[in-house]
Amino acid sequence: MNTFMRWAGILVTIFIAAPLVIVVPMSFSSASSLQFPPPGYWFGYYRAYFTDLDWLIPTWNSVVIASATTLLTMLLVVPATFALVRHKFRGKSVADLMMLMPLAVPHIVMAVGYYSYLGDLGLVHSHMGVILAHTCLSVPIAFLVLSANLKGFDRNLERAALSLGASPTKTFIHVTLPILRPGLIISALFAFVQSFDETVVAIFISGRNAETLPRKMFDSIRQEADPVIAVISTLLFFLVLVGIAAPYFISALRSRVPKPSRSPAGAH
Amino acid sequence: MTSYLELSSITKSYGNFTALDNVSLSVEKGEFVTFLGPSGSGKTTTLMIVAGFEKASGGSVQVGGRSISELAPHDRNIGIVFQNYALFPHKTAAENVYFPLQMRGVSRGKGLRQAEEMLSLVGLKGFGHRHPKELSGGQQQRVALARALVFEPSLLLLDEPLGALDKNLREQMQIEIKRIQRSLGVTTIFVTHDQSEAMSMSDRIVVFEKGRIEQCAAPLDIYHRPQTSFVAAFIGESNLIPATVTNAASREADNPLLGSFEYAGADNRLTDGQAVTLLIRPEHIKLSRNQVENRKNVRMIVDTIVNYGDNALVIGRAGDIPMRVRVLGADVVIIKEGEECCISWTPDSVFVITK
Repeated sequence: MNTFMRWAGILVTIFIAAPLVIVVPMSFSSASSLQFPPPGYWFGYYRAYFTDLDWLIPTWNSVVIASATTLLTMLLVVPATFALVRHKFRGKSVADLMMLMPLAVPHIVMAVGYYSYLGDLGLVHSHMGVILAHTCLSVPIAFLVLSANLKGFDRNLERAALSLGASPTKTFIHVTLPILRPGLIISALFAFVQSFDETVVAIFISGRNAETLPRKMFDSIRQEADPVIAVISTLLFFLVLVGIAAPYFISALRSRVPKPSRSPAGAH
Repeated sequence: MTSYLELSSITKSYGNFTALDNVSLSVEKGEFVTFLGPSGSGKTTTLMIVAGFEKASGGSVQVGGRSISELAPHDRNIGIVFQNYALFPHKTAAENVYFPLQMRGVSRGKGLRQAEEMLSLVGLKGFGHRHPKELSGGQQQRVALARALVFEPSLLLLDEPLGALDKNLREQMQIEIKRIQRSLGVTTIFVTHDQSEAMSMSDRIVVFEKGRIEQCAAPLDIYHRPQTSFVAAFIGESNLIPATVTNAASREADNPLLGSFEYAGADNRLTDGQAVTLLIRPEHIKLSRNQVENRKNVRMIVDTIVNYGDNALVIGRAGDIPMRVRVLGADVVIIKEGEECCISWTPDSVFVITK
C-alpha cells in the first residue's frame, strides 16, 4: 500500500510537471513548429523573440497593462480592505459580495459584458479598456490576499504605537504599513500576474492596439504554432521560479551572515 | 486636594449592557495599584478608558489635576504594556524603545543611546540589536516595559503582562517590575486576575466585580477585612458561613447547624437579628482528634485530603456546611479520609461580613 501510494504520488507529480519540462527543450528546438521531442537544438527562436517587434510590442503592452492594473487595483483594494475588515457598516455583506463577484462569474461572461460596455464608452482596443477590465478581475484576488493578512494583524501594535505618542497617521506609516508590507507585496504580485496571464478578456477587447502577450500567443498557436511560444513560456516559467525562490534565497543569505554585536546602538 | 490620578463616576455601557457602573478611584503619585477581578468584571475596560482606547459613557479621568478625558490616546503620555507585549516585529529592541522618543522628535543617535540605557535598567544590556522574535518571552516583556517607561510617562498601565509567562519567570518578573517601578517612582496601574500577583506587588488592590468596585484597600486589609462575600471568596481561600447576629453587644452570632459563634471583628455596626456572613480562613482553623479548650469546637467529617508537601488542605463537612482546613504537613497524619475529627478556632479568627 505504502509503495503504491509513493508511486502514485510520483506519477501525479510527473503528470503535473511534464508540460513545464516539455516546453524548455522545445524552446531550443530547431523544428519549424512546436514538436516533441525536438529534432535538433539551437537558439534561433530566442533571437527571433528578442528581435521581432511582433512579439516585443505585445510583451511591452502586457507589462504596461499589468503594471497599471496593479497600481489601480492596490489603490482600490487597500482602503477597501481596511474598511471591510476593520469596520462595521450598513451594506457591508453586500460590499463583501461585490468585491468577490468577478471571481465567481466566468471570464467569458465578463468578457462579453466588457466588450459591449467598453465598446459604448469607446474604450475597446485601447490600453485603458484592458486595464479597467483587468482591474475588475484583479481586485478580488488582491483583496483576498490582503484581507487574510489584515485579519491576522495584531491591533495592539497600533494601540501601542498610539500610546507611545504616534499620531494615527504616523502609526500607519511607522507601524501598520511596514508590518503589512509582505502582504501588500504578495497582494500586488497576484494582481500583476492575474493581468499578465489573463487571456479571455484580452482576446475580446485588447484588439490590435493593445494586444497582450497571451493574446498574441493564442493567435500564433492558432495560425502557425511558432516555437517562439515555447521560448516565451520558458522565460515566464523561469521568471516565476526566480520570483518564488528569491525571498527564500534572501532570508537564507541573511541568516548565514552573523549579526555584528553593535555597542550602544549607532552612536556614530 | 485631589489625588494624582482621579477617576470620577466612570460609566460605560454597550447598548443595554453596563460594563462599568459609577467607578470612582483616587491614586496617589508613585502608587502601585492593582485592578483585580474575574474576566468581564470591568478592570480592563477601566484601563482602556484611562488609556483613551475606549470612550467612557460618563464620568471623567484626571491626571495631575488636568482632565484627559478629551485627549486622543497619543496625546496622553501614558505608557502601556500589553499582555502580548505588542513589540514592533520589524524593529530591533533598541528601535522599539527608541520609538516613543522618535515620535517626540529626539534625534536617532541620542534616542538610541537613551534606549540602551533604559534597556540596561530592565536587565537587557547588549540586547538592543536583536529583533523581538530573537528574544524569549521574559526578555520581550522587559523590552515592552522599557519602551513604556523611556519617555517618562505620567502613568504606567500594565494589562495582564505576566499572563503568558511560566510560573518561575512570572515570579521573577513580579519582583523585577516592582523594583523598576520603585526606582522610577512611576504611578502604576496593574491589571490582573491572579490574586497572588495582586497580593505580592501592590500598594493597593481594587477588586472589580460586574462593573463595580467591590473594595479598594491595601493587600492585607483586603485579605483580613474583606467588605463583601465576593472579595472574601475571590481573595485567598475562605470558609463562608451564613449566620444571624444574636447579641451584638457580646459579639455573638448563630448558625442553625453549627451553633453559636463568638466573633472579633466587623467593620460595620451590627444589630441583633441581622443576617451576616462569617469568614474563617482555612489556615486559622486547627484540626485535632479531640476538643480543644478555649476554642470554638465543631465536628467535621473529612472527605478529601490534598497534600502539598509542606502543607495539606483538608476538605470536609461540618453539619453539612463545606469546610476547608489548611494544616501543616506533619499534622495531617493524625487523620484519614472518611474519618470524623474536631476542628476549632478562636473568636479572633472570625470576621463578620455584612454584604
